[in-house]
Amino acid sequence: MSIAIVFGLVCALLQFLAWQSDGRAADDAEQLIRIRSVESNLLHADALATNAFLVGGLEDPDQREQYDTAINDVFTDITDAAKAQPADREALAALIVEINDYTDAVAQARVNNRQGFPVGAEYLSGASAALRAEAMPILTNLADANTERTEDAMGGQHPIWLLLLGVLALVGLWWLNRQLAQHFRRRINVGFAVAAGIVLVVTLVAVAAAYRGDSQNDSLLSDELDTATRQAIARTAGNDAKALESLRLIKRGSGELYEEPWRTAAAVVVEKAVGSTDEEWTAYADFHEAIVKLDERDRWFSAVIQATARDEDDNETADTSTAAFEAFDNASERVVDTNGTKTSDELRSGRGLALAGSAITLLLGIVAAVAVARGIGARRKEYA
Amino acid sequence: MTRISRPVVVLGALALILSGCGYDETPLPEDPAPSSAAPPPPLLCERDSVETDKRSYAPGSVDPADLEIGDGSGPRTLRVGVSADTYLMAAANPEKNNRIEGFDIEIVTRIAEEIFGDDFNPGRDIEYRVITAGQRIPLLEEGELDMVVRNMTINCDRWEHIAFSAEYYHATQKVLVRADLAEPVDADGDGVEDETQVPDLAELRVCAPTGSTSLDNVAEEEPEAVISPAPNHTGCLVKLQNGDVDVITGDDTVLAGLAAQDPYAIVPEVQPQLGGEYGEPYGVGVNAENIELAAFINQVLEDMRADGSWQAAYNKWLAPYLGGPDVNEEGAVQPEPLYGR
Repeated sequence: MSIAIVFGLVCALLQFLAWQSDGRAADDAEQLIRIRSVESNLLHADALATNAFLVGGLEDPDQREQYDTAINDVFTDITDAAKAQPADREALAALIVEINDYTDAVAQARVNNRQGFPVGAEYLSGASAALRAEAMPILTNLADANTERTEDAMGGQHPIWLLLLGVLALVGLWWLNRQLAQHFRRRINVGFAVAAGIVLVVTLVAVAAAYRGDSQNDSLLSDELDTATRQAIARTAGNDAKALESLRLIKRGSGELYEEPWRTAAAVVVEKAVGSTDEEWTAYADFHEAIVKLDERDRWFSAVIQATARDEDDNETADTSTAAFEAFDNASERVVDTNGTKTSDELRSGRGLALAGSAITLLLGIVAAVAVARGIGARRKEYA
Repeated sequence: MTRISRPVVVLGALALILSGCGYDETPLPEDPAPSSAAPPPPLLCERDSVETDKRSYAPGSVDPADLEIGDGSGPRTLRVGVSADTYLMAAANPEKNNRIEGFDIEIVTRIAEEIFGDDFNPGRDIEYRVITAGQRIPLLEEGELDMVVRNMTINCDRWEHIAFSAEYYHATQKVLVRADLAEPVDADGDGVEDETQVPDLAELRVCAPTGSTSLDNVAEEEPEAVISPAPNHTGCLVKLQNGDVDVITGDDTVLAGLAAQDPYAIVPEVQPQLGGEYGEPYGVGVNAENIELAAFINQVLEDMRADGSWQAAYNKWLAPYLGGPDVNEEGAVQPEPLYGR
């Protein structure tokens, strides 16, 4: 009887933990995507602020609005992230301090730039440097911690343990049945047979469900979540590159210092981006090469025009550097959103069924225990 | 019942423990170790005398068409290395499409005018290259630039690599302070405290570019001053505005540019003696072999003295912040040239 009870309890517990683990995995995956989104949006804001600075004091209102939206998105995501994961709160609080410093310095850069003061450029380049030196390491820690949590939680299905448990319970029942058979000279005890049948069916169903869940999680981890993460990293690196291009031109003449970091960021984009955004990135990278050539030939004004010209018609054809980059940024954002949402949706789908399975297993464990008790009771009556 | 209650309790407890497993706190990055500022390299040359260092080539009546300028590949241009963030000397003006303007640029423009004559077109004939302080000598040596006009002090070390024009501006090391720290003083003895002086630098936080001689001079003058360097002078202004430092030290030209960007940063009239008598004599740097160009520039500087255009440029850019000859005794007038090299 204990065998059936223990089997029911442990099997139900394993299923319950798997159910809980999938829920945590969905939350952790969402948190990971949120952190990656903060990372991308912060550097997107920096790309917009540095590019707008190049134009001079009279900044394009649309670009300003885009910057404000990016920063608002960052703060919204941070608030959501702090609610979703208490373990991230301390790091997020430190991040907010850095972002406040950054937005303050950008505001001072703007004010000074509007008055034609070179100190504005110093505020801006200092803000960009501090963003990379102070805020990005915090985000890297947050991304690493949440990647680990997501991967751990997604490995929460235990088909092998369920199978072993089932086999162990069946062997136990078979052994007890054999002991009874030796004492009472009846080969098969009906109660034991019913219990074994229940254990067998429950084991097969639970193992199949856990195996399916495990495979689905593996596939999410290597497909959708991997795609979302890679593209988010590519988007962050792409925005880093666009900001570095503007900083190069702001430093006019000594800007080649920014070319090596641009190439490093571009290499990250090429390595991490999924194929669907290759065309957009290549189009932007071609514009960048043209800008560098102009700058190297001391045609700085032409280089700035190339780097800051915006697509007035807002059409699909990216005929300026900024438009080409925005096409890459928007496409990347779509890839991250689609794959991130799919990951958490799939992790949450069918969880009700898994919980019901856990409850039914517990119930069937009790039924099996009752069957075993009745089986033994019948023998006792015969003996009496 | 007691036979099953024990495992139930154990498993229940296990379930609670497992399901209640918490997350490890996300770690914060460790603070990077502060980088130590490299001291400025000492002069390697044997300084004969200040006068020897300042000595340049006698003005020459060279035909501008014979001057070796440009890289020879396209139209003839004057390739000039300048700063773009030294306000009042050479800085990009966002209101004028980021055109570089200032006192140094007036000198460059006049030299170019004399070279190209009546057909002079600044956009076509001058190729500005914005350079860092560290790029000044290498780019001249490599022949990438024809001349450098960028707060460049003439000294014997540099004469070993490049050639200079005669001194075109005599800068001195001064101190800029937060407005509330400037002490009123009756410097001219008329009974009215209508001027200001630099306060005692002890305990004050002083900023200058990392590794600059200006910082060493302050440390020598006032060992109790708290030294707080920044990557450049504009970085010092950021620190001053953010309340991280009280004082900035550097060439008067640079400080004038900083004071012009912030009404609460002033360069007091009464200054401590920093950096000795030598000061910072600015010269136009040219390639060591292009002596004709140096001599030609010296002729242009003489012309500027004669027609008053040097003084007009000073009055336009620097006088509002550094004062006229009554305040800035050496800097407000064009330095007397020394020739005979």
